[in-house]
Amino acid sequence: MLKVINGGVETLVEDWPGRLGYLGKGMASSGAFDNVALQFSNLLVGNVPGEAGLEITGGYFEAEFVDNGVISLTGTDMKPTINDQPVPMWEAMAVNQGDKIKFGHFGEFGFRTYMGIAGGIDVPPYLDSKSTCIFGSYGGFEGRKLQPGDIVKAGKPTQDLRDLSGRKLREDVIPEYTREWRLRATPGPNAAPDYVTKEGMDFLFEHSFKVQHTSNRSAYRLDEVPDYFFARENGGVGGSHPSNIVDHAYSMRGALNVCGNTPIILIADGPTLGGYLCALTVINADLWKIGQGTPSRDFIKFDYCTPEEAVEARKKQKALFTEESLI
Amino acid sequence: MDVSINAHMPGLVARVVVTEGEEVKSGQEVAVINCMKNEMTVLSHADGVVKEIRVKEWDEIQVDSPMVILEIDEG
Repeated sequence: MLKVINGGVETLVEDWPGRLGYLGKGMASSGAFDNVALQFSNLLVGNVPGEAGLEITGGYFEAEFVDNGVISLTGTDMKPTINDQPVPMWEAMAVNQGDKIKFGHFGEFGFRTYMGIAGGIDVPPYLDSKSTCIFGSYGGFEGRKLQPGDIVKAGKPTQDLRDLSGRKLREDVIPEYTREWRLRATPGPNAAPDYVTKEGMDFLFEHSFKVQHTSNRSAYRLDEVPDYFFARENGGVGGSHPSNIVDHAYSMRGALNVCGNTPIILIADGPTLGGYLCALTVINADLWKIGQGTPSRDFIKFDYCTPEEAVEARKKQKALFTEESLI
Repeated sequence: MDVSINAHMPGLVARVVVTEGEEVKSGQEVAVINCMKNEMTVLSHADGVVKEIRVKEWDEIQVDSPMVILEIDEG
């Protein structure tokens, strides 16, 4: 389908919901960091929403199409061009053999762009998923990010390509991008009063946390929490710091892990267990926003959410990935 | 004429590997940025002489921040 000219900062094959069912064996789930953008990109080109697409992080990706096909671009607007002509976001478009696609850097809002390809991406599933786990070097395209010269093959489209080109997403379902991402989260499993003070929980829900430059597909690191955050003087048998606990499984994806005084949202390629408390869990419907948070620039704010509201939000979001969202 | 070599990613300046007055070639490494726990190399896009270094180690930078100014011989 395409030959890579420049792999950019980090371009990966990712699907959704990723590699589920192996956390107990220490295998990260991986999957698209912004699963909403990936699912819309697939919807536009007639694929099942969770099919694998390209996740373009940071920008600068360039490729030449080696076959005719239909693609869509969703997520942050990296000012993409085909043969030096600007092309639209959130729309399916035909591409021809020899066309060259090029991306600038990430936009004013957001950090990741997704390319959906009619027929999906033809890479062998590994443990039931085509997603790349970049830190484990498995899955996706040879377990790594794309490099110049790589040939990415498309699968067989399920619909006539002529019927796909020009499909657009309805304006009202295109996600809103920002520089302060509001994440709904449920308290726990390690929250007040046992591990965190009431004032500490208030801090979590009131402070706007800057995304640190060290954030990546494993974890999004945030500003430090104050010492009054902790309800205990130390971690007891778990360790000397009050963020320590006896090792346990993490609620992946979306656990807000507190390591020392640093809160860290554990995400796609993150750890499956460890010995630090997890004070919040980001709801499934808002996981996509984390992937659009730009390191060193954007902020994250948590909004309190009940488990019932989380379930409703997930159902409502899932209902968007149907033909009714298209025009 | 002066040209600016800018950051291509946000992050922290890990190091600047050229000095003022040094001659650099297009494609040569001039600085390194720390982002996403990776070191990302900043390359010169022109031949020239380093006129000014605008950043220092551990500075926080945004995409398109000027890092190194080159003086280009237009002749």
